[in-house]
Amino acid sequence: MATLAPGVKTGPYHAVLDHIHPEPTSFIRRYIFSIDAKVIGVQYMITGGLFFLIAGLLAEIIRAQLMSPNGAVVTPATYNAIYSMHGSAMVWMVIIPLVSGAFGNFVMPLQIGARDVAFPWLNLVAFWMFPVAGIILFSSFLVGAPDAGWTEYPPISLQGPPGTSLWCIAIFLVGVSSTLTGINFAVTMLKMRAPGMTFTRMPLFVWAQLATSPLLFVATTALGAALLALFVERTFGVPFYNPAHGGSPVLWQHMFWFYSHPAVYIMILPVFGIISEVLPTFSKKPIFGYKMVAFSTVSIALLGFTVWAHHMFTSGMVPWLQLPFMILTMLIAIPTGVKIFSWMATLWGGSIDWKTPMLFATAFLITFTCGGLTGFFLAAVPADYHEHGSYFVVAHFHYVLYGGSVMGLFAGFYYWWPKMTGKMYNETMGQIHFWITFIAFNGTFMPMHWLGLMGMPRRVAIYDPQYTFWNQFASVSSFILALSMLLFLYNMLIWTPRKGKPAGPNPWGGRTLEWMISSPPPYYNYKKIPAVLAAPYDFGNPLPYIGLDAAPGAVEATPTAESHPVPTH
Amino acid sequence: MAVSVAKQGYHLGHGEIDDHHDTVIYNETRDMRLLGFVLFLCADVILFSSFIFAYIYLRTTVSPVWPPIVDGKQLPRLDVAFACFNSVVLFGSGVTMHFAMEGWRHAKKRMFNLFMGLTILLGAGFLGGQGYEYMHARIGGWGGANGSIFGASFFTLTGMHGFHVFVGVCYLIILWLQVGRNVYTQDRYFGLTAGTLYWHFVDVIWVALFFLFYLW
Repeated sequence: MATLAPGVKTGPYHAVLDHIHPEPTSFIRRYIFSIDAKVIGVQYMITGGLFFLIAGLLAEIIRAQLMSPNGAVVTPATYNAIYSMHGSAMVWMVIIPLVSGAFGNFVMPLQIGARDVAFPWLNLVAFWMFPVAGIILFSSFLVGAPDAGWTEYPPISLQGPPGTSLWCIAIFLVGVSSTLTGINFAVTMLKMRAPGMTFTRMPLFVWAQLATSPLLFVATTALGAALLALFVERTFGVPFYNPAHGGSPVLWQHMFWFYSHPAVYIMILPVFGIISEVLPTFSKKPIFGYKMVAFSTVSIALLGFTVWAHHMFTSGMVPWLQLPFMILTMLIAIPTGVKIFSWMATLWGGSIDWKTPMLFATAFLITFTCGGLTGFFLAAVPADYHEHGSYFVVAHFHYVLYGGSVMGLFAGFYYWWPKMTGKMYNETMGQIHFWITFIAFNGTFMPMHWLGLMGMPRRVAIYDPQYTFWNQFASVSSFILALSMLLFLYNMLIWTPRKGKPAGPNPWGGRTLEWMISSPPPYYNYKKIPAVLAAPYDFGNPLPYIGLDAAPGAVEATPTAESHPVPTH
Repeated sequence: MAVSVAKQGYHLGHGEIDDHHDTVIYNETRDMRLLGFVLFLCADVILFSSFIFAYIYLRTTVSPVWPPIVDGKQLPRLDVAFACFNSVVLFGSGVTMHFAMEGWRHAKKRMFNLFMGLTILLGAGFLGGQGYEYMHARIGGWGGANGSIFGASFFTLTGMHGFHVFVGVCYLIILWLQVGRNVYTQDRYFGLTAGTLYWHFVDVIWVALFFLFYLW
């Protein structure tokens, strides 16, 4: 037996065909209460996708209401409930479960050469909390939905309808689910990587998940505390937030944003990982600055914990704290800029293949940068005094979350859909979907910058007639955006299974491990766990994997001194 | 194919390749579980820290004096003497837990049983003491009509801690029963390790709470 790393002991576990758990035969154990990370990933995708449709419908009601200055589609009270539920659902029930639960579960174990996550049963439990939480959240419409915005600031949320308590329970539950997922993923990535996959040989999507996982189990618990306090204050009158009983509403804002700012990075870092996979694959070029992209992900995750009070400049927080929070917030632009420039340099001189995932990834670079730059405006204290609570903020975070997270998620969907289903989607329809999405997205949210700077406040059901034109422009664009989703769903769910050509193991010429095995991957991912000799992005060199039970079409490495130089240490 | 990676000098951490059987062997389970459990405790630390932050914030930034004034009268401070006694009970249980594990590691069954029993008794005693203290604390209620921010932060934090102690006592009883049924062996006893870690964790949290509520 060859001892390859000093200090590593052998144990009597997992020979080649020895499985962590046997393949279930019954339908229920295979597809409903499955412990296979790939199935759970698809379950997250389906559930999150359904919630995305509901949340999107709520958004369209908002836009319909704003078609005229005195819109009467819904009453102002209902309008408050609708935008609160739209925000809550999009953040906790759609984007966070999709970026970590769906893509993390499906792609990450494949990319590190593992057969499953570290704790498959925990994964099952964490998944099933999520649809339950979603049902609780949406059932609050039956008893009076929360109406203080997705941030639920007290004291308004203390007097809110009974649904606000259901909101607390639902978000708490989905938070527990995130926490468990974060712990599970961290252990998986730290302990279960294929032999030879050192930290600097991990795919960048894995780096992104690794940087996100501590955010999931550290920041989310802080939100849990804030929600617990809000819940007991609403139910038993325990004075934390109500100034009439000696509490402080600003305390909620601190506790809430201590979670919710890192949550922004929970929503975007895995998407950075998707982009870092898509760009080199379709440029046929190694990613520029691999280590810098990886380390900037980690530094964004760390810095993300130190900036939360930039959401609170107008809240009456301690004034001398504003300057440090402003500077720390602006510091985040440095690692983010490192990423953006590295991605642009990856495109530079590449032989770019403009397939749908690449179109979305490139559009991401543009729209996310727009969102990042408006974030700079909002981080500046004097400018924020003017922009806070206006449509400028709405424009900013939709550019980051829709133009960033959702665009990147679309890139990931198109990129890995052939791997998940084994069939190719319709490229023409995909490209039409992209162009409609890109144009309608900008049409919807770009005018909101101007509306906000003109002074239109957010969260209003009726507005001054001078804002009418751009609101109508945004509304019409958003209807087109919604329609483009139908094309996407038709392409992915109906066209692909019926008419899609077999994708083969590696339709894109990707070099990470998941492309080395058949599509869809077999139950145990890897019959033999491969050994990894280098980072996966050296296009033009032989693949850096050996001992792999490769699918036909994937070429294994014949390492030479030139292609995979032996490390000197 | 015979993998000659080692001969080529590639560094392959996290597993090994068997030249003869072409297999990869993971050092799975125990260290993975341990890491997972430690990360869970980290998450729990943040839960407590958030409420501790809330308490410090309410005490230093919101309330002009501490203890706060309710209905024109300043609330009294907490009774330190009794809390000292109760803390000694809890810290004592940490010491007995340590000796129980020492007994386990050296395969001294009687020593393990004695100290495990003592740990459970001391843990339950601490809970009883906390109940006594709750009945006699005059710092305003947890909530409702006579709720105060002092009562809110004190009862929430110590209540959460008490809940952790309660869970810990139940967990230790289960472990004790499992040991009686020979679930663990001398080289596979992760459940006991986790129980010990958890119990010491609960102790450490109490150190923080003791300083923050009684000595500050």
